[in-house]
Amino acid sequence: MAESPDAGEILRAPLTIGYDFQRTTGPVIGAFFTALAERRMLGIRDTGGRVVCPPVEYDPESGEPLTDMVEVGTEGTVRSWSWVSRVREGQPLATPHALALIQLDGADTSMLHVIDAADPSEVSTGARVRVRWAPESVDGFGNLVCFELAEGKG
Amino acid sequence: MNAERVAVVGIGQTKYASVRGDVSLPGLLREAAYRALEDARLTMDDIDAIVVGKAPDFFEGIMMPETYLAEALGAVGKPLFRVHTAGSVGGSTAIVAASHVESGVHERVLTIGWQQQSVSEAMWALSFPIPFQQQLVAGAGGYFAPFIREYIRRSGAPDDIGILVALKDRLNALKNPYAHLHEPEITYDSIKESFMLWEPIRYSETCPSSDGAIAMVLAGEQAAEASAAASGVRPAWVHGTAMRSEPATASGRDQVSPRAGIDCAADVYSQAGIVDPVAEIDMVEMYVPFSWYEPMWLENLGFAPEGEGWKMTEQGRTALDGDLPVNCSGGVLSTNPIGASGMIRFGEAAMQVRGQAGDHQIDGVETALGHAYGGAAQFFAMWVVGSEKP
Repeated sequence: MAESPDAGEILRAPLTIGYDFQRTTGPVIGAFFTALAERRMLGIRDTGGRVVCPPVEYDPESGEPLTDMVEVGTEGTVRSWSWVSRVREGQPLATPHALALIQLDGADTSMLHVIDAADPSEVSTGARVRVRWAPESVDGFGNLVCFELAEGKG
Repeated sequence: MNAERVAVVGIGQTKYASVRGDVSLPGLLREAAYRALEDARLTMDDIDAIVVGKAPDFFEGIMMPETYLAEALGAVGKPLFRVHTAGSVGGSTAIVAASHVESGVHERVLTIGWQQQSVSEAMWALSFPIPFQQQLVAGAGGYFAPFIREYIRRSGAPDDIGILVALKDRLNALKNPYAHLHEPEITYDSIKESFMLWEPIRYSETCPSSDGAIAMVLAGEQAAEASAAASGVRPAWVHGTAMRSEPATASGRDQVSPRAGIDCAADVYSQAGIVDPVAEIDMVEMYVPFSWYEPMWLENLGFAPEGEGWKMTEQGRTALDGDLPVNCSGGVLSTNPIGASGMIRFGEAAMQVRGQAGDHQIDGVETALGHAYGGAAQFFAMWVVGSEKP
């Protein structure tokens, strides 16, 4: 019986895959992306009257189609957060930042996004934040770069 | 096995197209699901569980799409399952859904198969270099072409059988409003002159890339009778279901007529009490993505002796007015949203039994076979549906 090769002698071959996709967005997500390009944030009213942001096409509980798009604020309140102190490749910002659940003004749900802050002592549950837009308008979510801290307490 | 009786009581399809840019993925699935519910005279509230199937995630680039489809599919508070078996997935998904009713666990199950081929190029998704995946180097067509060549060599079939299959299926598709390809100008010569894609498969002998979804409602005996009373359309009773798998590359494996397909057919016929399939089955929807697979599967499924499937095609026996119509809907050659294609075969077989197939309806269908295959012709799923209670 042959001896098993030393693990150090087993070759590893590279496999690099590049593959592009497109999405059909439908009437609700399509409208949300269109508004983002115009530097506006949209939510949608569900059958229970709550404003869901980012909007969903179908009611989270009943599954009914939703159509009542509602403009929400570009400022909001931090509902919870996590500090990223050591930044590695491929993360949203090149400097330490917070991943946070942010409830935009006028919305009843939170969205997960990024807060650019200098130090975790500046971030707290209840802190106020505002959208930082891309300097030049780009398609879709790319236009919303991150959030930054704003004055006040939510 | 003391299984509960199960029947198809609702079928809904989207219009199939190369791009359904008017809807999101959840919107596409809802289109099929709500048509199936309407056909069954039911609402989403009546559904106990949902079973979905699609081709590999890489084709659409959404990892585990079932997680974000739950609300659109009305699955909140209900079991939601995903089935994976490559190209046969539409068939195996329907069988898993049926088994939930047969087992007595659920009374009414909604099942959906779909694909949005427009979001990516599935051929290249299948084309990683050897040895990091199955040897599908040039996509499915390049993989299957040598086995078609071998079928022609063994059987001595004339060169143009594939053209005859493609012409029949594309003309059948003109009678199916949901079919993707509607090519009223197609002729024998236009197929013959279309460019050779993977010799001996020409462009017009190849399935298209489609967006679309199909849904079915499967119901236990009482629920099926209640739906039928409300809709006035008879249920398609499931008389047998079978699945078989085999390795892709085992030595000695016959990819022209895989053992798994032969065994799967024998199993489903046995369950349905069928001894002479060509005499007892009134029509077949089989998975024919490349034209020559019609004669190949006619033999694999026991409708013709080995080497003689092509004669049934040549003699017109598989045409709408033949004694064994095959792919009256236009088949995979006219519509191919991969993850849905197997379920479309199963659904079209049920539509024929229910008398719902419109312009491509065959008169008096009492027993029909739905067939799907996938992977390197290694996964098979089949069901027999009939007008009488089993």
